[in-house]
Amino acid sequence: MSPRHLTFRIFRYNPDTPKHPPSIQSYELQEETGMTLFIVLNKIREEQDPSLKFDFVCRAGICGSCGMLINGRPTLACKTLTRDLPAEISLMPLPVFKLLGDLSVDTGMWFRDVSLRTEAWVHTGKTFNPNEQEERMDNETALNIYEVERCIECGCCIGGCATANIKPDFIGAAGVNRVSRFMIDPRDERDEQEYFEVVGSEDGIFGCVGLMACDDNCPIGIPLQGQLAYVRRKMAVAGWKR
Amino acid sequence: MQLQKALTRTSKADFITEMVQTVSGLLLVGFLWTHMLFVGSILLGVEAFNRLAGFMEQFRLLDVAVVFVILTVGAHVGAVFRRIPSRWQEQKIVWKHARTIKHSDTWSWLFQAVTGSAMLILVIIHVFIVVYAGINAKLSADRVQSWMLGFYIVLLLLAEYHASVGLYRALVKWGYVKRRSLKKVLSVITVCTIALGLVSLWLFLSLGDSL
Repeated sequence: MSPRHLTFRIFRYNPDTPKHPPSIQSYELQEETGMTLFIVLNKIREEQDPSLKFDFVCRAGICGSCGMLINGRPTLACKTLTRDLPAEISLMPLPVFKLLGDLSVDTGMWFRDVSLRTEAWVHTGKTFNPNEQEERMDNETALNIYEVERCIECGCCIGGCATANIKPDFIGAAGVNRVSRFMIDPRDERDEQEYFEVVGSEDGIFGCVGLMACDDNCPIGIPLQGQLAYVRRKMAVAGWKR
Repeated sequence: MQLQKALTRTSKADFITEMVQTVSGLLLVGFLWTHMLFVGSILLGVEAFNRLAGFMEQFRLLDVAVVFVILTVGAHVGAVFRRIPSRWQEQKIVWKHARTIKHSDTWSWLFQAVTGSAMLILVIIHVFIVVYAGINAKLSADRVQSWMLGFYIVLLLLAEYHASVGLYRALVKWGYVKRRSLKKVLSVITVCTIALGLVSLWLFLSLGDSL
């Protein structure tokens, strides 16, 4: 079978030159064996258009830099093989995040803001004693924390969320999932009312309308539906007692 | 934190509204399904339908049901209203978003909002008619003979769709349910209730002038 001829329709916009309105530019390419979108975009930039902006760091699905809308679906470009896609492929940047240009968005600022607002760190009154033995955690708890801590903050759950698209302060699945990690962690001494303060509102868990695009699109398969429901039930109990 | 937000902090208003939305929604699903079973009593004959209607009127259950519906629908509308994107730009964003990501549960949410808004008007008309005319098989048969047949078919389809999607979303948001199997179960229930409603309408239509 001869290699396919692929057409990429890529979103182009540079916020620094707002006179040029956003447009879609087409690029043609021959498909190669085992071709990922990481290879495609670098090939286009090297051979056809050095001005094309996009982000990649690890090209192995770990760093979370290359989240984008591939034929509309939010996912990681480095993990996406062209053979799983039709011959015409549309690439758009993730919505919600600040657009830096073309396919490149700034997820870092967004995640930093959410981390600060949800106080995403272990709250403890204990002072650290370096000579003491480490406190033990049972294996199941550790595994539960690890399961949700796998989040690479690529932002696919946020870009795919209709609520996040219209409510700028909504912390989305990534934010709720991050808080759930501390709820599971016995080292965090916050009580449920303190958690309610940071996620028991429309900007937090009660802003979620349950579209589950986050759960359907998470590139690393974190069980977001379960985490959202877990936090929702916990916060409902806290709200009830309030 | 800004001044206006610091001054108007409401610690549990969002939680309460969410609970009102969920509880009223669940109650309305229960009401709708019971309602469809009651209407379906025409399958057992005109006598059965009229006796059930008579029983409801005699023990003032009809009044209770009407008051219940007005209060619950009112609470539900009040609570879900905040979910509907109100600004023109937000409307454009959500429709464009649904078209872009091609995600079925996102589409069903938009249809949920559309069917809900349409139903609000139809439900008001429906309740008015029942309150003023009462319930018996002849009244229903006469009504179905007119243009009202279309009204009932549309209301049936909208209500069953809205209830089914709403129940799905409530269970998905709160529970451990497996989404795929829940979808299957709810689809079967929805098809059955729509079929029951259509058969009831057809029976009233064929009873026609014989009453």
